[in-house]
Amino acid sequence: MIPGAWICLTAPLVGTALILLGGTRISRGTAAWVGTTSVFVAFAGALWSFFGLWAHGSDNGQISSAWTWLQVGGFKADVSVIVDPLSTMMMLIVSGVGALIVLYSVGYMDGDDEERRYFAYITFFVFSMLMLVESGNMLLLLVGWGLVGLSSYLLIGFWHERESAVAAAKKAFIMNAFGDATMALALFVLIAHSNSLEYSTAFATAGHLSQTTVDLVALGLLGGAVAKSAQVPLHTWLPDAMEGPTPVSALIHAATMVTAGVYLLARLNPIFQDAKNVALLAAALGAITLLMAGLIALVQTDIKRVIAYSTMSQIGYMFMAVGVGAYSNGMFHLMTHAFFKALLFMTAGLVIHAISDEQDIRKLRGVGAVMPWTRWAFLIGALALVGVPAFAGFFSKDPILAADLHDHWYGVTFWICGLIGTFLTGLYTFRLYFIVFPGEPSAFVREHHHRHHGREGALTMLVPVGVLTVLAAIGGWIQFQPFWEPITHWLSSVAATTPDATATNWDDLVSSLIAPALGIAGIVVAWLIWGKERIAVPKLPAVQRVLEHKFYFDELYDEIFYKPAVAAANIFRRDFEEPVVITSGNDIGEGALEVGQATQRIQTGLLRTYVLAFGVGTAVIAVILLVVR
Amino acid sequence: MEGPGVVWYLGLAAFLFGTGAFGVLVRRNPLIVLLSLEIMLNGANLALIAFARHSASAAGQIFALSVMAVAAAEVCVGLGLVVAIHRRKIALDVDALSELRG
Repeated sequence: MIPGAWICLTAPLVGTALILLGGTRISRGTAAWVGTTSVFVAFAGALWSFFGLWAHGSDNGQISSAWTWLQVGGFKADVSVIVDPLSTMMMLIVSGVGALIVLYSVGYMDGDDEERRYFAYITFFVFSMLMLVESGNMLLLLVGWGLVGLSSYLLIGFWHERESAVAAAKKAFIMNAFGDATMALALFVLIAHSNSLEYSTAFATAGHLSQTTVDLVALGLLGGAVAKSAQVPLHTWLPDAMEGPTPVSALIHAATMVTAGVYLLARLNPIFQDAKNVALLAAALGAITLLMAGLIALVQTDIKRVIAYSTMSQIGYMFMAVGVGAYSNGMFHLMTHAFFKALLFMTAGLVIHAISDEQDIRKLRGVGAVMPWTRWAFLIGALALVGVPAFAGFFSKDPILAADLHDHWYGVTFWICGLIGTFLTGLYTFRLYFIVFPGEPSAFVREHHHRHHGREGALTMLVPVGVLTVLAAIGGWIQFQPFWEPITHWLSSVAATTPDATATNWDDLVSSLIAPALGIAGIVVAWLIWGKERIAVPKLPAVQRVLEHKFYFDELYDEIFYKPAVAAANIFRRDFEEPVVITSGNDIGEGALEVGQATQRIQTGLLRTYVLAFGVGTAVIAVILLVVR
Repeated sequence: MEGPGVVWYLGLAAFLFGTGAFGVLVRRNPLIVLLSLEIMLNGANLALIAFARHSASAAGQIFALSVMAVAAAEVCVGLGLVVAIHRRKIALDVDALSELRG
């Protein structure tokens, strides 16, 4: 099982290296297939380590060290991978969904000018993400964390001639860097107290620290998680990140990268259990995010942005689960979410690809008539997202609500937020569906639908969509709380559900009845408003304005951070740079010139004067040395 | 074996060095200047070896050996320059060769 983990980690990096070294000597197609193969090899490695661990028993996790990376005094960090239930589960999700999405990219990016660069980036991203989930200590975790931010930056800004893409990439990078910084600070505190970043030592140390210190550490880690997972208040980068190519949105901004925060909270759960208040803060942020994102998604007109807000909202659910201590429920939702959200993005990508790169849902009306298979795939993804019984989301979302319901009064508050969120999910998802897919194709769709890849898309795009459709439909059957819980058992040795969050059968029953009912109610309302157009969209100009401005977060950050920085820069330019720095350049030059002209006369060109000066100088120095001594 | 004291050697070295330095300062023929330089170097070598003997350490001798190697190289370059200057029919006079002045 250990070799499997190393293969899983290094295969995508080898892919990146081959594509970069190959450069223009290999064709675009070769680059694409090298990338795809490398990620599939990684998936094979993940399977190997998963089944190896399965055979050994899930509580026999191991850490395998390759070499000592750095050693300073008593502090030591190895390059090591951890193979335990949590990491193998994440490896399977990241490399499995990643492989499907890279395969999809082969068709999607076909004909792009810089295909090779794209595949080098995306395999590098898969490597970074695997590094993050497999890291055997927290220093490597931070390395993976940073590399994921970097590759996300590269991929969002992939179409670098587009100004908005570059701006979005910078925004994502800065927000993520903020999270990296708070995380690094938390690690510094841990090093100061335990002189180690091994998981086991850190967990043991956390138990002995004062409450304030543990809270600070947990808060710093939470900062990293919130930034990477696009939760309030560091969420504004995710919708803008939709500037990247659609497979990137599917891979990074739905299936893998943004779930890193959930993974972090589950991986470091002993620390968060010692800092219960911070964990609850995570759950509260999740609850706020899921409501806010659900509301904003109602007024978005860009097909990818609607799905992006839905991602934020679903990750809010996961935060709500891991915040109260229901780690396996959060991880299970992470898995099913990876299936159906990747599916939704890929079907959206099929539509965008077929209809001349158009993303405005008002222009895309009636696409379902020209792309029937895409329509069905999207519908299944949407049903899974809303959590309609029998589809994946039903099995994973309702236990989260049940776990919250069990946990004190605040849990009940989260539960209510979650239920409202379910209704909103049904509403915005099917608003999208009813606007885009059913009905007569609009003139725009008729005119721009082109078929150079067949009716719906290239085969490399349709195969992953098909696989994910199946997974979105039946992927949730793997666990049905409280009757059949293999994932909870699998994870119990590293991330056991806390007693506070262990739902009773009653909690499960209530949640499993109310949540789907509200979801379906949302679907029905969406059908009445946008499907049948029986009732008009309520006219609330003030609310609509707030939602269209996304609760004014961007404007707020502009006022607090951007504008003061610009003002300060202007003041320094006017009062310091222009009068001092710029003019002093000439003065220094003129001074040097004058000195040069003055000393020029010493240079006579006569050898004997030089020798004399040299001899006299040496004598003077010798005398000085003798006298001083 | 008792020889003369180290002071005698140093005196001889200083004399050689002074002779060389005087030659460098007053002579204008580059060949003679080079010759005087060699005398200076050998004065220095003599002092090094005298000290080496005096303090019973090999460092000074090794240093003197490397000075000889450097001196040989320096003479090669210097003579090469003298020949090159002569070939261009320029007077062999160090005072006349002053084009590098500021």
